Amino acid sequence: MKSMMHIVVFVVLIILTAAGCAKPPSDKIEAAEEAVKNAREKGANVYAPEEYAKLEGKLTALKQELAEQESKFAPFQDYGKVEELATSTAQEAAIVASAASQKKEEAKAAALQAQQVAQEAVASARDLLVNAPVGKDRAAIASIKSDIEALTASLAQVQASLDKEDYQAAQAQAKAIDEKSRAISAEIQEAMAKVKPRKRALK
Amino acid sequence: MLRAVSITITISLICGSVISCTPAVPPDLLTAIEDIDHQLISIGAPHTAPDEYTAFAARWAALTVRVQTDDDLIRWPWEPNHFEDELRRLLAEGTATLAKIEERHALLRSSAESMLATLDDRLSTLSTHVSLLGNHILLGKEVTQADLLLKQARSFFAQGDYARSLSVAEQAAKTLNLQAEALTQDLQRYADSRQVARWRLMVNQTIEWSRTHRSPALIVSKVDRQLSLYENGRKISSYPVRLGYNGLKDKLVQGDGATPEGRYRVTAMKGERETPFYRALLLDYPNAEDQRRFLAAIRSGAIPQTASIGGQIEIHGMDSTGASQTLGCIMLDNQHMKTVFSRVTVGTPVTIVGALTERNHIALALTELQKQRDAG
Repeated sequence: MKSMMHIVVFVVLIILTAAGCAKPPSDKIEAAEEAVKNAREKGANVYAPEEYAKLEGKLTALKQELAEQESKFAPFQDYGKVEELATSTAQEAAIVASAASQKKEEAKAAALQAQQVAQEAVASARDLLVNAPVGKDRAAIASIKSDIEALTASLAQVQASLDKEDYQAAQAQAKAIDEKSRAISAEIQEAMAKVKPRKRALK
Repeated sequence: MLRAVSITITISLICGSVISCTPAVPPDLLTAIEDIDHQLISIGAPHTAPDEYTAFAARWAALTVRVQTDDDLIRWPWEPNHFEDELRRLLAEGTATLAKIEERHALLRSSAESMLATLDDRLSTLSTHVSLLGNHILLGKEVTQADLLLKQARSFFAQGDYARSLSVAEQAAKTLNLQAEALTQDLQRYADSRQVARWRLMVNQTIEWSRTHRSPALIVSKVDRQLSLYENGRKISSYPVRLGYNGLKDKLVQGDGATPEGRYRVTAMKGERETPFYRALLLDYPNAEDQRRFLAAIRSGAIPQTASIGGQIEIHGMDSTGASQTLGCIMLDNQHMKTVFSRVTVGTPVTIVGALTERNHIALALTELQKQRDAG
């Protein structure tokens, strides 16, 4: 009987010691935090805001669970859920980061495409102006020059938005420039259509 | 006795199973919060109100995870249900956040819509006035800039990003204000009663000269775009004219596209074979007053030292389908030019003024632009 009691006490002590050794999965928690941070750096808060907000929520839940376990008497601490949450958060963060990167690249590509279209439209208007025949109506065409200068200056704003990775603004600016440039080109062509080659007068 | 114990155990088991089947959190509560989340996403809150949405969504995600992972979901009826309490609080806060964001969106949408309409109106008014006053007055880059900003603002509005639309529209409004100020500065003299009185005096003196010398005289009113032929102090006829592309300004340097203002005389008459413009009357621009102003502008640094005063200002013809503007000359339709040409001689005075009355188109346009600026 005495021997039996010793065995029970020994087993209980082993169990308590083993339970007391339970430690939070710091490396996995850090990995989860790092993955969420990385997702933000990849632009998830802008390009996948819903998913990113949920990620932050999971991180909060993880920390709450961690705090709850840490507040318990050591033998009763169980970090299994914390570990599970940390692992799933890190996995989801990687997926969100990847999706955000893709969306960001798509937005960048669309903005760059719009920029190129705008640059071509401005260049086309400028070429029309330069190649306009010398004549009395050159005066009318010359007055459009300031419009083209304004458009050229605005192209720099598109680049500034691209540099700031504000692709939405870059795209909106580029589209506006393209639209305006086309209108000006049409105006120049209309003015040129009226031109009759004449000797230029000094004014 | 055994039967009583058996009944008690049965009742306990039934109660126990009933209790154990009761979910810790009512499913409809979770559905309601999920619905709020969807509504917030559908109005674009993650983009337009990221902080508020993140605060809600992060709590929602945290609670969802905790509800899903907590083992202790089955509670005794007397146990407090913290999750449910927290979820109810989140639902209340989410509902309030949704209402707040919706209200803000509605306000922003309305402000942006109204501002875009106002700016459309202002830009259109400015363009119409500029067009009426003579196409392509050199306004500078601001109008183009304002137009571009307005297009961007409309683009953001279409995407539902009202805050950004409003912000870009405000930039457009500032740019338009700058333009209206510049325009006012350039054309203010048309609304200046003393300047208009001086112009009227010049015109009256020219008409008087025509009367006393029993000779023809030409009067050009730039704002009216009209050339009047006088003989013996009497107006014979008036003709529409086209001016420089910057014709409402007073000419100062070569290439400014402005049409000069002042008292001039015809110095040469060019017949059909002497000019590419049907017939032409060469004026004595620059006269002494023009040269004085030009030199003063050079001295003050208003124009570069290398600037040239220009010349070859003529009254000439052009077929009616030809150019709508000149580089600074006064252009008549060929048939009118033929008449004028036949009635004047070398030495005929030509007085070119901005306006003859204070209530001219430009003065009225400037007043309207000012009103719009004040209202904006």
